[in-house]
Order: sequence, then structure tokens, then C-alpha cells
Amino acid sequence: MIAPKFMPLIVKQIVRNRTRTFLTVAGVATAMFLFIAVQAMHRGVMITTQQNAEDNLLIVYRQDRYCPFTSQLPQYYQQRITEIPGVVSVIPMRIIVNNCRTSLDVVTFRGVPDDDFLKHMAPTMDVIDGSIAEWERRSDAAIVGETLARRRGFKAGDSFDAAGVRVYVAGIVRSDEPQDQNVAYVKLDFLQQTVDRKLGTVTQFNVRVDDPKRMNEIAAAIDEMFATSEFPTATRSDKAFMAQAADEMIELVSFARYVGWASLAAVLALVGNAIVLSVQERIKEHAILQTLGFRGGLVGRLVVTEGLMLGLLGGAVGTVAAVLVVEWGQFSLSMDGLSIPIEVSSQLVIAGLLISMTLGVIGGLIPGWQASRRPIAGCFRAV
Amino acid sequence: MVLIECRKLTKEYRKGDMVIRPLDGLDLDVEAGEFLALMGPSGSGKTTLLNLIAGIDSPTSGSLVIDGQDISKLSRSALANWRATYIGYIFQLYNLVPVLTAYENVELPLLLHKLSRKERHERVATALSLVGLADRHDHYPRQLSGGQEQRVAIARAIVADPKILVADEPTGDLDKASALAIMQLLQRLVRDLGKTLIMVTHDPNTAEFASRTLHLDKGRLVDQSGHATMEAVR
Repeated sequence: MIAPKFMPLIVKQIVRNRTRTFLTVAGVATAMFLFIAVQAMHRGVMITTQQNAEDNLLIVYRQDRYCPFTSQLPQYYQQRITEIPGVVSVIPMRIIVNNCRTSLDVVTFRGVPDDDFLKHMAPTMDVIDGSIAEWERRSDAAIVGETLARRRGFKAGDSFDAAGVRVYVAGIVRSDEPQDQNVAYVKLDFLQQTVDRKLGTVTQFNVRVDDPKRMNEIAAAIDEMFATSEFPTATRSDKAFMAQAADEMIELVSFARYVGWASLAAVLALVGNAIVLSVQERIKEHAILQTLGFRGGLVGRLVVTEGLMLGLLGGAVGTVAAVLVVEWGQFSLSMDGLSIPIEVSSQLVIAGLLISMTLGVIGGLIPGWQASRRPIAGCFRAV
Repeated sequence: MVLIECRKLTKEYRKGDMVIRPLDGLDLDVEAGEFLALMGPSGSGKTTLLNLIAGIDSPTSGSLVIDGQDISKLSRSALANWRATYIGYIFQLYNLVPVLTAYENVELPLLLHKLSRKERHERVATALSLVGLADRHDHYPRQLSGGQEQRVAIARAIVADPKILVADEPTGDLDKASALAIMQLLQRLVRDLGKTLIMVTHDPNTAEFASRTLHLDKGRLVDQSGHATMEAVR
């Protein structure tokens, strides 16, 4: 590495051609912004479909239906599913979204029975505004996830309309479960009456089983039970359900990751180009430094450090911009009622900075090596 | 005491099929504390000889012993370390780094030595005051006259206290008054600080400041009439 006493020399070389440095840093920042944003989306998909899915939870959906609008099941299935050995609890859920397509701003209502919400869901949430008691008291009350509330600017006591449903915000909650962060929980019968003007129809059942090893067996039993009914079911693990619901999004994000990697190649090209131009302009100066006794390796390291600084500067600007935009926007990619949070983790920030620094170093390697190997006398003759 | 000893020093370049030999088996001794001027027509090998003595070029054959060490046998990095200790180079066009102030330019050679910031500061201040530019330390090269730039370059050359100064036409780009002042300064460095100075020049008036003047032609030392001479070896 380079001793700190050489840093002023490096900094002066970087700011020497301000326009070129600005354009290079801006280019690197843009590319790193894109990379961080894509990685944040990918991380959200991974968290949603793999890490956060529960191992003992089955989702019962209407067979051959993939959108909450079209999945309709009789609520009385709850009682029959409960009787299957190994089933611990069954929560009927009505889901309404204001947009069934992939979107960055979807409001999802989940209607659940009061008792189930209070018993199974409320204990896993931290109320940061309002109260659960208020939710119990009012029939049109909603408990809103923090991300949704921040995105839409809701606070306890507000009312809002979405998907033809008008609700009162009884409380805002924070949860480790990304889905809860992005939905509004309302009472099941309220949602049924508001949307369909009829009771007895739900979108899905969340079935908790006693032993994760029996997931397949119980799922098969549920589907077999309703195979010949008017409303046949398709039961999958929470993980498999989310993976299928997010299938198109996973493909989209996977493709977007290539764009992210391509943006890293752009960083490399930008820094490399800037350093090559800079070094070509300074052939004589490098010869002067070597005449003064700077070793070729030191000259090369000075050049590489310039690349590192450019990469770090651009990477820092791009990463900070990505963090600010994601934090400000509170984006959540939603599809078929499934919410995928877009969050920039601290690990991603560190990774972004390390990657931009590494690319800066790589971009400076060849020009640095060239600068270190040029014969001194030849440089004076050539210029 | 002989400080620099060149024996059968030869430098060849290849340009296409042609072999160019700017130095052709040159023998030369330079005493410690001597002020030597090298004169000769363009292409006679003056600057090539200067570059070999300064260790920024390597001879094709022959030996070049300086202070008891044959520098033609040193590796690139060892030669760089050697230059940092032994050589102060003064260029015709000053060759200051334009983005650095006079102070920072003079400080550059000291960055290669294990010195504290305070020690570096003291040495730079001494060097700048020696060349009469203590009050210009924060000026950039573009804010200095040609004579002042050359003074900064001289301060940079002496700041690490090298034994040998080499100067390639140090007054070639200066007006008469500035040239005179620079030559008086160089003479003082030899006289007062005991430096050994080897200077390339085209100008006989400048060469008069030297204690000895040698003439080169076609890579060999010649006498005033152009005949090869052995005078340079003592």
C-alpha cells in the first residue's frame, strides 16, 4: 500500500483534471447506484422466498389460481382442515390488493378473524403508533405495516381508501416478517362485506402443522379432501407458495442482476479509461519522479491508488444515493399480493464500497504497471 | 579523490536496422567536489553521458563506478534507491510537477527518506532559502518566472543532500540575467556545500563557471580541435 505522506500527491493528481474526475466519479456512482438497487431487489426476493418463509406453514389456495382476486375458497373449509391430524391451527385470510400486477406501490389488505389476529399475529408485532385495542374496538380499523405507512405517509388516526375499501388506521406496527411490514390487517368480516357484500369467502388458509416433516403429507391430505368439490385446493409450503407467486419476479430480478454485473464492468471501463488518459498525460512527470528516486513500483502504486480513490469516491456517492432513494421511497415490489421489500442492508453498503474500491484498483493495474515499467530516459526523449 | 570513474562506457540504441552509438567507449574520471562542464554539438552524447551518471539510463557495455559502486550492475529498484541518495538532477526545462506548490515540489525527494514531517519541513525551508525563494513556497510553478522555477528545481535537487548534482543545460531556457544568477548559485553549491556538479551546456560563457570543461563528439571525448583525447582520465 501507499504511505499516508504520499496521499496529498495522489489527491492533487485526482483533482487536477476536475471535469474528467467529475465525469468518472458520476459514471461510477451511477453504475454503483444501479448495482446496489438491483442487489437490494435480489436480496428482498431471497428474504421473501427463502429465509422468511416458515417451515411449518402451509398455504391453501384455490387450485389453478394465482391471484388473490381469483382465488376464492369457502370459509367453512377451515373446520374440515382443522380436523386433519397434525394441523395445529388454521387461519382463513381474505386478501385484497389495489393492483394485481407487479408494482412498486401496492396496498394489500389482509382480512383475518379478530381472534386469530390477536392470538397468532399481534404478538409478533411491535406497535410504534396507535394501539391494537383501537383495532379491536372499531370494525373498519386497520393495523398497518411500517413500510406501507411510511410510503403512504399514514399515521394512527388517519383514514384511507384503496381497492374500494376505506379503513381507519388504528395502529402502525413493525415486524421482522417482510409481508407484515407491507400490508394492512383488517377484520375478515369487514373486508368480506366491504368487497363482496357477502360473508363466507376467503382467499387462502394459513395452516400451521405440528411437524415440518409432515408438510407434504398434510398438504396432500388437504388437497385430497377437496379434490372433488366445487372449489378444489392447491396446498403448498409457505416457501413454495412464495416462490411460485414470485416466480416471474424472480426471473425479472435474476435478469436485472446481469444488468447490475454489467454496471460493474462499466465501472471498470470508466476508471480504467480515466487512469489510462491521466497516465498518458503524465509520462514525463512519472519519469521525473523516478529520476528523483521513486521506484517504478512506487509510481505504479501511486497510479493504482488513484484508481482506488476514484472507485471509492464514485462507489460511495452511488451507494449513499441508493440508500437515500430506497430509504426515502420505502419501495416494496408487490405481485399477486406478495410483497417483496427493497432494502439496502449495511452488508450491501460495505460490499458496494469494497467492490467499487476493488474495481478501481483493477482499473488502475495495467496503467500502473505500464507507468512503472517505462524507461526513464526514453520518457524524456519521447515527450 | 575520484568519485566517478567511467571505463569504456558505451551506449547503443537500435533504430530499425540501424545501431546508434551516442557513447563509444568513453573513459572519464571526475573528482569529488569538481564542477565539470560537458560541451559538444547536438548528438555528441553529452546528455546520454549525464543520464548514465545520474542512473536514469544503463550503459550497453563498460563500467561506471561511482563512490566505489558499479551502478551499471544495479537492478532497477536498487538504482532508484541509489538515485534518491546520490543524485540531484537539474533539467533544462525545470520539470516541476505543475499541480504541486514550490514547497511540495522540493519536498518530493524527501518523501523517499525516513524523515518526520517536521524534519522534512526544516529541510525544505533550508533549501528554499538557500536558493532565495523562501517567500515563494506556496506558489505553483505557473506563478513563478523561469528563473524562479529553475531555483525551485535546484532546491529540489539539493534538498536530500546528494553527493552529485547533474544539470542538463540549466540555463538553456533563461534570459541572460537569470542565467547568470543560476550559474552563480550552482557555483556556490560546489564551493560552499562541496557538491560534485556535472553540467551539460552549449554555451561557452556558462561553461566558464566550471572548474573543468570537456568536449564530446560522436560519443568520444575530444580536444578543442576535435581530436580524441585521454585528458579526461587522471
